[in-house]
Amino acid sequence: MRRVSKFLSLLSICALGVVVVHAQAARNVRVDFKETTLKNGLRVITVEDHSAPVIAVSVTYNVGSRNERQGRTGFAHLFEHMMFKGSENVGSGEHFLLVFNNGGNMNGTTNEDRTNYFEVLPANQLDLALFLEADRMRSLAITKDNLDNQRNAVQEERRLGVDNQAYGKSGEVQQELIYDNFAYKHTTIGSMDDLNAASVEDVAAFFKMYYAPNNATLVVVGDFKTADAIAKVRSNFETIARQPDPPPVDMTEPQQKAERRASVDDVLARAIRVDLAYKAVPGNSADFYALQVLSNALQSGQSSRLYQKLVKEKEMATNVGGFMDEKRGVGALYTNVQLRPNVKTEDVETLVYAEIDRLKKEPIADWELQKSKNTTRRNFINGLSSSISRAITLGQYTVYYNEPSLINNRLEKVAAVTKEDVQRVANKYLVDTNRTVVVTIPKAKARPTTGTSGQ
Amino acid sequence: MRNIKNQKFVIALMLVALVSSMAFGQGGMAPQAPSTKGTVVKGKAPVNKTVLRVKLPKAEEASLPNGLRVILLHDAKVPTFNMQIVVLTGGLADRADYHGLASFTAALLREGTTKRSSKEIAEQTDALGTTLAANSGLSSLTSTVTTSGLVENIDQTLDIFADVVRNPSFPQSEVDKYKARTLSQLQFQRSIPQFLALEAFNKAIYGTHPAALVIPPVDSLKKLSSKDLAEFHSTYYRPNNAILAVVGDVTMKDLMPKVQKAFGDWQKADIPAVTIPQAPDPAGSMIYLVDRPGSVQTVLQLGTLGIERTSPDYFAVLLADRVLGGGPSGRLFLNLREDKGYTYGAYSNFGSSKYRGTWTASSEVRTEVTDGAMKEFKYELTRLGTEKVSVDELENAKRAIIGGFALSLEQPGSLLQNIITQKLYNLPADYWDTYPQKVSAITADDVQRVAQKYIDMKHLQVVAVGDASKTREILSKYGTVQVYDAEGKQIGSPSDNR
Repeated sequence: MRRVSKFLSLLSICALGVVVVHAQAARNVRVDFKETTLKNGLRVITVEDHSAPVIAVSVTYNVGSRNERQGRTGFAHLFEHMMFKGSENVGSGEHFLLVFNNGGNMNGTTNEDRTNYFEVLPANQLDLALFLEADRMRSLAITKDNLDNQRNAVQEERRLGVDNQAYGKSGEVQQELIYDNFAYKHTTIGSMDDLNAASVEDVAAFFKMYYAPNNATLVVVGDFKTADAIAKVRSNFETIARQPDPPPVDMTEPQQKAERRASVDDVLARAIRVDLAYKAVPGNSADFYALQVLSNALQSGQSSRLYQKLVKEKEMATNVGGFMDEKRGVGALYTNVQLRPNVKTEDVETLVYAEIDRLKKEPIADWELQKSKNTTRRNFINGLSSSISRAITLGQYTVYYNEPSLINNRLEKVAAVTKEDVQRVANKYLVDTNRTVVVTIPKAKARPTTGTSGQ
Repeated sequence: MRNIKNQKFVIALMLVALVSSMAFGQGGMAPQAPSTKGTVVKGKAPVNKTVLRVKLPKAEEASLPNGLRVILLHDAKVPTFNMQIVVLTGGLADRADYHGLASFTAALLREGTTKRSSKEIAEQTDALGTTLAANSGLSSLTSTVTTSGLVENIDQTLDIFADVVRNPSFPQSEVDKYKARTLSQLQFQRSIPQFLALEAFNKAIYGTHPAALVIPPVDSLKKLSSKDLAEFHSTYYRPNNAILAVVGDVTMKDLMPKVQKAFGDWQKADIPAVTIPQAPDPAGSMIYLVDRPGSVQTVLQLGTLGIERTSPDYFAVLLADRVLGGGPSGRLFLNLREDKGYTYGAYSNFGSSKYRGTWTASSEVRTEVTDGAMKEFKYELTRLGTEKVSVDELENAKRAIIGGFALSLEQPGSLLQNIITQKLYNLPADYWDTYPQKVSAITADDVQRVAQKYIDMKHLQVVAVGDASKTREILSKYGTVQVYDAEGKQIGSPSDNR
């Protein structure tokens, strides 16, 4: 995991975007891409770039945990694991052997809104990368043994991230409380019971419905000639059969009528934590970008209002953090506060709400607007510097918004946000009736303190 | 991913811990060793057999009359830059009764200077979209202050950066706030099982050596004063004891006048020599069980004392580690995850410094399979020394490392880190250019020899963090078990196992 964890930061960078409002000239970064659609409906995006002898390939499938049905939570992600267990011409686990042993790096990730697979390799391995992706799109091998093995791995992944971590369950409780529509009302990792219920028949049906070329976007970035790359893409992918389009997902989210609140007893936690969420808007909307700017002023970095108030001035919190979540459906503005000992939850909430009220009553300062735009710009353009991050970003924008060009105009959308916009969205979305609060309370498990505690 | 801002260490753990939907590689070596169970190599995918050799970009170097060395790696792909001051003194200079002073000094640099308050530093750096961070480990050779930003803001960024590096005032009020904040953060870290494992493991390996410490001792934190910080700073933060390393969209011609302006009148001084303490001789094998009630997994970390960075065994260990557990194509991952389904991941790792580092293997497994996981760890650790690695397995490991250099060309930040490593350890100037040849030269005998030499089961230290009531008896099958609570206090003696 450590070896490939750099991909995590690349992914999180995709959530940001901006341009500079600065006196000095800011150079823009432009990604020149070419779009092609194969006869079977596969969307192909290529970016020719000779700056390093590297190629990067991503395949983004238009399926995520939002497509799951009740009783099969966690399935989209479990399925993702199955994509590494072999296909007609690639043995179980051979995918990884081929990528790593040729100097490459790879991963697959699943979220609510999409599933992606990607690899980066030395430039002389383009044929290999395309072959690997095409072979599993065409002919995934599905066996009970492989499913049972990956079910175990995924259940350990859940224990690692949720059940064996302090505050692990709080996020799950919060997600289930925020949403009414089942699409987002469950986590991507899913429940243990549902993971146990998944069958090979489920895997086969899911593969046929969602892993068709007409439900995917292939992005190829790097050191090649575009015409050559497209010819290779055609020979690898064009004969894969199109399937009927998957049914659309109903993403309607009813208007929330009142604050929602839950308390979680956590035997692993050592401090109270408060998690707040305000249900807001889908990503890539004008209000979304305004909420990103708002979030930046409120809770990003040591200059943020909540850090200065709660951590520095009042010394009530060890840490604060938060972000505006980018989703295809309705996303939320999240805030979390880690309390110091002997601090009352109510007092912290009162201070957070006072800061939110201030955002409603007065415009943010010039420097705060500049902070948000500069920070977003730095993160975004750094994220464009590697082939693999461009491949992932282009795939994501295409599947999320049908808008690959967002990679070139996203910073303009953030630059367009004004202080008035920030004040307007604060008043519109950051209202009590839109709020979900989860308070995690440490509950140490009783344990005798004598030397014979073992048995 | 909902991360909590925190010290670097915690963030790293959170990345491992909170990601709920990453599938990691399975990998495998099909037809040869027992590690191939569950992996099938069909050999039909088109592989280009040529390993792409690449030429690494050259860094430019310059210096100021006051002794400040400047290294620049030009990379104009995007209009950003990253710069760091590497002070050539870190936690290894701390007095034995004051571990953490180097770390505290770095952490408090940005909490006030003679020109700016803590809040002004935060606001001005954030307004520029700049990052600003400083740290020093408790057993590190260096202290590092890093900033990264947009090239159009480089002048303003450098002004704040130089101010923080040169003129920190360590206001007592900020020192007091830092103490209180850090004490609660230390509590939070004790909820993270991987943190508890590392803490117990390093203590088992290093005893009283500073590398035993993962976090500063509370005693040090409590006695911390503005005066001590100022003294550490004025002694070691000097241009003749520092390297300014820059990577990004800036040329040496443009950079040097800016560096001259920011650091030209920084006064040099005599730097007291720091003696690097050597790691203690390995202790006898022991199992440390950290009781974490409510755990549903056991976090296992096993390992021994490894090598110094300049050890002649470095490349043999590099390859042995790659074979053992260097990623999803390593034996540990294949065995414990792909064959047994015990875990989400199992890896090995080695570190090295001017004192001997550790060589470790680790995994998180559900409590019920603690026994099975222990058995497989012992099997794999032993096998590396008893069985010669196959030709294919060794060649694959070499190709993975050498081929990976092409990818590094897109990571100029890590190339710069490599150059800093070369300077810190006085490695030859062509060290990175000849790295592939050194990897290629390693034989199966070399791998077996270093496995036997360093992975000595008589000195193997084992840490398990989990529910002691369910794992204590199981672990006692593998050796003498000492039980501790999460504060590091021993709560059971070996005799309790009987």
